[in-house]
Amino acid sequence: MLLQKKPLQPRTRFGSSTTNILQRMLRKTENSVGRVFVERAAVCVKDLVVSYGSFIAVDHLSFEVKTGEVYGLLGPNGAGKSSTIKVLVGVLEPRSGSVTVFDTPLAEEVAVKSQIGYVPEEVALLDALTPREFLEFTSSIRRLDRDTANSRLGKLVAAFELTPHFDTPIAALSMGNKQKVAIIAALLHEPPILVLDEPLIGLDARSSRILKELVAYQARKGGAVIFSTHIMEVAEKLCTRVGIINKGRIVGEGTVDELRRLVRKAEGSLEDVFLKVTEQEAGIDEVIKGLAEE
Amino acid sequence: MRLSELWRIAGVVYKEIAFQSIFSLRSGGLLPSKTGTDIRRLVRNAQSNTLLSKILMSLFIVMFAFMILFSTTYRETGVISLSLSIVGDVSVFLAILLFLLIVMGLQVTTSFFASDVIVSLNALPLASKDISFISLLCFARIFDLPLLVAIISFPLAYLLFTGSVAGSLVVVLGIFVTEVFALALTTALAKFFYSRIAGATGGSAWKTLLRMALMLVWVIPIFGVYIVTSFWMEIANFFMSLTQPALSTSYAILAVYPFSYGYLASQVTVTEGMDFVSQVIAAASSICYFALAIGALTWTGKTIRSIGSVGAISSGRSVVKDTEISPQGRLAGIIRKDLRVASRSPSYASFLLLPAFQTAVLAFSFSTFRNVGFGETLGMLMGMSAIAILLPPMLFSIEGLSSAYARSLPLTKKTLILAKATLATVTYVISLIVLVACTLYLQKSIFFILAYGGIHILSVTAATMVESLLLVTMFWKSGFAIGNIYTRLTTYVLILIPGAIVVFAPVLGAILLAIFVSDLDFVLLWFATAALLMFIVAAFLVGKIEENKLDRRTITTIRNLKNQGLLNSN
Repeated sequence: MLLQKKPLQPRTRFGSSTTNILQRMLRKTENSVGRVFVERAAVCVKDLVVSYGSFIAVDHLSFEVKTGEVYGLLGPNGAGKSSTIKVLVGVLEPRSGSVTVFDTPLAEEVAVKSQIGYVPEEVALLDALTPREFLEFTSSIRRLDRDTANSRLGKLVAAFELTPHFDTPIAALSMGNKQKVAIIAALLHEPPILVLDEPLIGLDARSSRILKELVAYQARKGGAVIFSTHIMEVAEKLCTRVGIINKGRIVGEGTVDELRRLVRKAEGSLEDVFLKVTEQEAGIDEVIKGLAEE
Repeated sequence: MRLSELWRIAGVVYKEIAFQSIFSLRSGGLLPSKTGTDIRRLVRNAQSNTLLSKILMSLFIVMFAFMILFSTTYRETGVISLSLSIVGDVSVFLAILLFLLIVMGLQVTTSFFASDVIVSLNALPLASKDISFISLLCFARIFDLPLLVAIISFPLAYLLFTGSVAGSLVVVLGIFVTEVFALALTTALAKFFYSRIAGATGGSAWKTLLRMALMLVWVIPIFGVYIVTSFWMEIANFFMSLTQPALSTSYAILAVYPFSYGYLASQVTVTEGMDFVSQVIAAASSICYFALAIGALTWTGKTIRSIGSVGAISSGRSVVKDTEISPQGRLAGIIRKDLRVASRSPSYASFLLLPAFQTAVLAFSFSTFRNVGFGETLGMLMGMSAIAILLPPMLFSIEGLSSAYARSLPLTKKTLILAKATLATVTYVISLIVLVACTLYLQKSIFFILAYGGIHILSVTAATMVESLLLVTMFWKSGFAIGNIYTRLTTYVLILIPGAIVVFAPVLGAILLAIFVSDLDFVLLWFATAALLMFIVAAFLVGKIEENKLDRRTITTIRNLKNQGLLNSN
């Protein structure tokens, strides 16, 4: 367990105010949940099949994520990561298979969705609304009370430096700021499960670091995180376990060390392992050579 | 770069804009399939839809050009002279053309302004001058066919019916000026929309209301076209009546567009019936409007060209005082969100504002009645509720705007149905209040309106609940994207028919009953009973909707997890 041996700490050199906000946020919550959590299945996916017409995007996929884990879903473009994630959060209907969240079947939509915070890959929020209006809407749907919501929101908005854009229509925000709105909406109700589909895309270094810390903390306090990314370094540092998807199937699963052992020839980095198990390694040298010759 | 090459590039850009305008209908929703064939079909649909829209508009212009000249000028009634008929025909054609082009422009220009495709041309090795020119050509392609058809068809019809070449040339001039005015107004409205509405900051209720009020500027032309296409004959007669006093008592109308062109055309076609001063005023005004059109054309060109360099959307940035939010209940949260979205979207705002606006316009027809009785009230209620039953599909399509995200929220079917039905009913109630206010202003009795209109709220609520129920049943899984709801006409009609039955049955029943029973108290009792019955049945159906209720095992599991601190209490 990579991260449990060496958990991420807020050791950054941000401005002191940011570090303080982040540390206060983490400390306060850590105190409130300062108990040893029982490790159990947070998300259980069995034989999941997702199709678009005749195209099978996810092909009998199974995996389990336990409380206290950051589970990384890796795979090349079109491998089925986002389709899997969309099923988990109730956006997409699977063709077959079962998904349970804390033993509750996905069919119990409201109960399941209440426990999940979701950041989609394509940030398609309600563009006509401002972040304030959008967060008011999501908080209303999640039945957050005013004081609780504002207490969390103030810290999150300050941490992600969204205050200047808080009353600007989302349509006019940059991609990074839209992403921040989606992240805040996902974190505002403090869900036990975070499902993040490529959440670092478009984020600046500071926000990216804060999110990574929050993800690590989510696992430490007994929550679960399902994290899809293309950035191997992030997955290597952040994820407790990794599932590599290719052509809709899990082709490798375990800690990075376990995967290294699985693929003997891989030289060490997760990127090497990834290229090996997804059979994408072959021909890379030739392609690079060909491009260089031109 | 050569003009032909620029025209070709403008064609590619135009295709992309057409695609985006159709694709945006599905944005946030889920495409049924990700296969290449499906996307190719979507692209083909986009192209054929925009072409079809232009062809239909052009056909209407041709038909209208011939019909209006045939029905008045050709068919001499003896009531109005030929010269006045020509004035009326030309004026009403120009006015209607202006309206039609503005509405058509508003629909497509929104996509043109919102699209970043012109700005993306900056990354290509093209000169800034060429990119500006491509913007202009692309804008022209939005309107090309209707502009061309209008400037050919009406002068041709005019020549056929009057035989006057000079008159036809004046008409050509009038149409040119009208087309330029339409392009300029469309551009100005689009700019206004982005600066004051779409890019407006702030989220207070007052600002939402203010945006709704500003939206009227956008919405009224759309309603104008509805009136024009429905009542064009009445409008033509109204224009005729306006022309009559001008010749005898007032010269003012001669200087007003589009009458000045009507008078000028009439003057050169029928060289009698107008004094010298009238001739001078009509000619001078027409020349002034032509000069104004040249100025408007320059401004439009400059504005459109600027899209190529700076883009169209300019967002406002206000000083943020705090980051407090006020979460409400789920129902109120959805309604507030819908109102906020509508306050920044002309198409949604028009649906919410038009019922009240239409009621106000139609209510003034009461002025010709001695009193507002049973028949007048029920006729008006049918019109108002006909608009109300169109609302649920539109309100559900708002859910489609970000369904890829919104569907991850813990929202129940019942909450969604009740929120949409409530908003649709409130829209009807506002129309009813407007009707009462107009009737009081006209000093007529409001008894029937209050009695029948009040009871009818139950039928409208029932109808909107039934439609919402059908929409949820049909689209809960596939998503509420506009593209899904409106693509198949049969599906859309299948949603409206039950709503129409629920809302019209009590009204039609009351009318039939009134024919056979003279006691209106009994009719009112039947009306109330039928409406109440409809409401109870609809409420029962909504109450029975399958909501994936939690079974005992799940409830126990959730309770245990909460006790362990693994689940939050929300």
